[in-house]
Amino acid sequence: MRITQGMTAENAIYNLQQQRSVMETLQEQISSGLMVNRPSDDPLTSRQLLDLESQIAAGDQYTSNITKGELLLNLTNTALGSMSGLMQQVKKVAGDLVSGSTDSNVISGAVSNLTQLKQQLVDLGNTRVGNQYIFAGFSNSQPFDAAGNFSGTEDALSVEIAQGSRMATTVAGGSLLRGGATPAPVGSGATAGSSPVDVLGSIDALISAISSNNTTAISDGVKNMKAAADQIAASQADVAGRLVRMDNMKGMIADNQNTLKGIYGDLQNVDYARAGIQLSQQTNAFNAALATTAKLTQLSLLDYMR
Amino acid sequence: MGISTIFDIASSGIAAQRLAIEVTGENIANVNTTGYSRQEVVLENRPVNSASGVPLGGGVQVQTVRRAYDGMLQQQIVNGNATYQQNLTRQKALEQIQPAFNELASDGLGQAMENFFGAWQDLSANPAGSAERQALLSRSQTLVDTFHQMNQSLSTVANTADNNLAGVSAEVTDHARTLALVNSQILTTNSLGGTPNELLDQRDLLLRQISEKVGITTTLASDGTASVALAGGEQLVSGTSYSTLYTSAGATGNQIRISGLGSPPPANNPASDADVSATVGGSGNSLGEIGGLLQVRDSIVPGYLGKLNEMATNLVSSVNALHTAGYGLDGSTGNNFFAPAGTGAASIELAAGFSAAKIAAAFPTATDPAPTSTGNNANTLRIAAIQQTGFAFSTGSATLDGFYSSMVGGVGIDTEGARNLTGQGASFLKQLNALRESNSAVSLDEELTNLTRYQRAFQGSAKVINAATDMLDVVLGLVR
Repeated sequence: MRITQGMTAENAIYNLQQQRSVMETLQEQISSGLMVNRPSDDPLTSRQLLDLESQIAAGDQYTSNITKGELLLNLTNTALGSMSGLMQQVKKVAGDLVSGSTDSNVISGAVSNLTQLKQQLVDLGNTRVGNQYIFAGFSNSQPFDAAGNFSGTEDALSVEIAQGSRMATTVAGGSLLRGGATPAPVGSGATAGSSPVDVLGSIDALISAISSNNTTAISDGVKNMKAAADQIAASQADVAGRLVRMDNMKGMIADNQNTLKGIYGDLQNVDYARAGIQLSQQTNAFNAALATTAKLTQLSLLDYMR
Repeated sequence: MGISTIFDIASSGIAAQRLAIEVTGENIANVNTTGYSRQEVVLENRPVNSASGVPLGGGVQVQTVRRAYDGMLQQQIVNGNATYQQNLTRQKALEQIQPAFNELASDGLGQAMENFFGAWQDLSANPAGSAERQALLSRSQTLVDTFHQMNQSLSTVANTADNNLAGVSAEVTDHARTLALVNSQILTTNSLGGTPNELLDQRDLLLRQISEKVGITTTLASDGTASVALAGGEQLVSGTSYSTLYTSAGATGNQIRISGLGSPPPANNPASDADVSATVGGSGNSLGEIGGLLQVRDSIVPGYLGKLNEMATNLVSSVNALHTAGYGLDGSTGNNFFAPAGTGAASIELAAGFSAAKIAAAFPTATDPAPTSTGNNANTLRIAAIQQTGFAFSTGSATLDGFYSSMVGGVGIDTEGARNLTGQGASFLKQLNALRESNSAVSLDEELTNLTRYQRAFQGSAKVINAATDMLDVVLGLVR
């Protein structure tokens, strides 16, 4: 094959270009830290990376949902804890008077004590975070009035904590303190102590029983109060259970995120040691190419013709 | 037979070597000229005569100046050019499209979509919150803007391709005119009995240049002139006449038309000139820059736009279907979230007069039948679930995210494919050009060696004249 200077020059330019483009790619990978800088670098891997990214983003969103849900549930838990404490006091007052009393001081003391305790229960039922009432269901106005009438809804505010899996973050206030959206009948006689219990209504009934020193009604009231304390304790246990589930889910998502990010990193992060070695190999090759090109293109018969 | 014969022989030598040096000079001068084929003188001895008693040649003469040329290579380069330029044009367009889809380096439509559904999730935790509602509104606006922007950048690529058609057609016409002129010069040179080597080089170069732009078939006549027909059979150059390739405005962008033959060709008449838009780029627009441009304008960009529109359509209709069933903070229901008419990437918009209070977070439940409660979040969960819902796309069932991700992958595959084809085409052409160079290009070493050879031969012939002069002096001295 006949080789001309033109061919040598063309070849030199082509090969130097090829080497430069390899170095350019390596340089881009090293400086950006990413193996895949645009979809065409590796279409299948980019598809995988995008899927991983969206799974990681979904995990982040679920974690954020859970954090918000936990805030509401923790607050609910605290309120329920206080309610439990109040119910202990109500039970004690009722228990002290189970055989009745004719001492008007004792009676008025117990009545005012119970009225205060009921009022505190109502206040706790109106607990809110920001402008959300945690026992009001979907309603955003104060769920309990001073008399204890419930005006919220019985719905639970749910958030998504995993794909397709929703978790209620509130407790229905009506069911909790009134035994239902419409208050359950106050138990007496055979039905005393049956659930669901209208907690606030039962306290009212207990107050009037104590005022009138009706020992039968008072002993019904004591049974009702025990059932009411159980109702609140059950709700507390339910909330605690949900908190545990959320915590577990959060842990699972975190583990999952770790795995996903690990895979993502394996695919996308540059192995600097490998890239560095490749770059230095490439630089050596390029230097050699430059040196030979400079030498060969200088050669000409003209230098020897006088 | 006399001394004068020696003069004859020597002067034929001087003339032949001088011409050979001239050709060598021409070669050296054109060492870097594109398309130049090296030439060499073919010397032969002059007819033999027996005037001296023995048969002896009468000196040297130049038989021809030959051009180093390989027609087969020329044809392959013409074909290779057409394919290479088509791929190169596609690659350039795809490289422009790709950044819009580069979800890996920057936040694009995929991120905007994720943020949109994330905002619905956020709203579900606090359905009456004005901050959450405002965030949803602004993220929806970002999503709409991103759709518009993608549409814009894709359309820009298509428009650029469309605009370039005019320039490419004009270039083809320009080359066609030059080729017709070269054809007529070849005929003139032939009629004067010369060898039109340089003109043939120009002809070949022009054919290569035209093949870079459009798909062509060429016919070389025995007189050296070239005729060129477009891929659809329309004659672009025939002998000394040529036609104009031009663009005229059509319903969906520029149409490419070809005028009648002539020198100069008849004036453009879009009403009657043939529309060659469908065939000028070869079958499937696979040839030449024009084929690449047409493919970008008519199939690549519309393909991606179609997919974006599918996404927009599914998003708008599914969100609206759920949103109209829900209730806003202001108690209103039946409100669209997106304007129902805007179902394309270009036309998607938030519903007219939409406000944060109209966001329908609430959905009727048994205990909240016509939601007046501002804390009702049932609808936010239903809309957020659209993110995981599969839709029947043209490529099969997929979620919005998944469809977009595969679209990004598709752009990557297309770009990589075009880049690989361009790379292969470039190295194929490089190989062909190397073969052509090897055969036709000027080698300085060779020319310098030839130069020395012819120079020495010239000196030799001159020396012979010297000797003959001396001999003539001696003879004349006898007479004196």
